Amino acid sequence: MSRRLTAVAFLAMLVLAGAMGLKTVVVAHSGNSVIMANGGAPQPPRPPQ
Amino acid sequence: MPGPVEYSIWLVCTVLEVAVVVCAAKSRSFRRYILLNVYMGLSFLVSVGRYQVLSRAGMESLEYSYFYYYSDLLLTIALYFALLNLYSLVFDEMKVERYLRLGAILLLGGTAWFSYGVINQSSQKILLSHFVYELSQNLYFVGLVLTYALWGAVLKLRETRARLIQLVLALGVYFSAFAANYALQNLYPNITVLHYVTPLLGCILPAAWAYSFLRVSEDQRLAPSRLAEVPR
Repeated sequence: MSRRLTAVAFLAMLVLAGAMGLKTVVVAHSGNSVIMANGGAPQPPRPPQ
Repeated sequence: MPGPVEYSIWLVCTVLEVAVVVCAAKSRSFRRYILLNVYMGLSFLVSVGRYQVLSRAGMESLEYSYFYYYSDLLLTIALYFALLNLYSLVFDEMKVERYLRLGAILLLGGTAWFSYGVINQSSQKILLSHFVYELSQNLYFVGLVLTYALWGAVLKLRETRARLIQLVLALGVYFSAFAANYALQNLYPNITVLHYVTPLLGCILPAAWAYSFLRVSEDQRLAPSRLAEVPR
């Protein structure tokens, strides 16, 4: 049982690491633009940080 | 302010979102694909809300900006759970639903923790809007990776349910199209037509899902050889 749970946790972390690695590569090659994938509404400028 | 072309695309997209829920209910698949329908229903409500805020406050207003990015996080989380709905359907014969749920919670928690860590490192003051934006972006990439992993599982398991395959494939095309458009916008920032393409791509997913619910029955099967040849 615990081996299965460990495998689930490992897979979840693997997906997270892969996704964040992909994001790092993408963001490093882009400007300040953002990637948004929800609906057809016009995209506003980012809120101040 | 957006022009008539942008408003027309937005309207088409919103109508298609409602069409998904209606088609799913009509084909008696609403409960089976409950999280997909929740995502589409939520997308419709968010579209209406965004229109209200945009028409009242304007494109450059902080109100619209905050509403847009906060609702985007809500939609991205809903899309994440819709994707898990597809995972549980693909793996339903293996009885691993409990592990899927655990993995999903771990992944969502891990993404939130990572997003918080990034903001904590980059600035001394933690802003909620910054966290919302970062988490939304990170979840998008997690969704992208999960979709490709699911497509790999569909091929490996030689899934034959036509509707399920179409739903997964549509999600993969949707994510890929946004990523390709994003890359093109960065490569060629002066081509203005690409800015019209982004909202147009938002129509891909509701259109493909509505078509799947309307035209492809739950019992319809694909011949495995037509899908792909994958050595076991």
